[in-house]
Amino acid sequence: MIRSLGADLVGISPELPDNTLTMAEKHAIPIDILSDATSEVLKTYRLWFTVPAEVKALYLEKFGLNLEKYNGAGRWELPVPATYVLDKSGIVRAGQADPDYTVRMEPAEVVAAIREIAGG
Amino acid sequence: MSLREQLAQFDASRNRTPEIVAILKRGTETVKASGTAGLQIGERAPDFALPNQRGETVRLSDRLSKGPVVLSFYRGVW
Repeated sequence: MIRSLGADLVGISPELPDNTLTMAEKHAIPIDILSDATSEVLKTYRLWFTVPAEVKALYLEKFGLNLEKYNGAGRWELPVPATYVLDKSGIVRAGQADPDYTVRMEPAEVVAAIREIAGG
Repeated sequence: MSLREQLAQFDASRNRTPEIVAILKRGTETVKASGTAGLQIGERAPDFALPNQRGETVRLSDRLSKGPVVLSFYRGVW
């Protein structure tokens, strides 16, 4: 839908490249999944954080989730989940970033923003 | 169903203990207080170049020269 409107969709995570390939294969995603292995871009976009100690313990002990396996040694860090719709000048025309990872931008809002860019 | 509704339904289906829910909630509050508001509407997105899943370098400015771009920052394949 996004691509048929002439826009490109790019995913970005702090995961090492092996895991971005897994992500692309797992969901058969025909888009670019980028690896920010130094978290430099996450920081520039003001989305980067270190997982709080209490949450880290929960992930390890209750969820069996070791982020170092995905992100590399010592990298208990993540982005706030975020979506940005950029016009051709790179200006953010719509977007959302919420530390509550269950809150995401509605796909319909993304499509509406692209349509508005195309029409304006 | 909207994505918001689907996520709420999925979250509820996990039947987490009140203790786990409380830890995650405190974690979210800690992250909120740490300067992670992201970009603002109207702001120019900083350029970057990062490797994709095939090891090719993708530069934001190259993609923008072809049209609008949707960036999706996600936590991981897990």
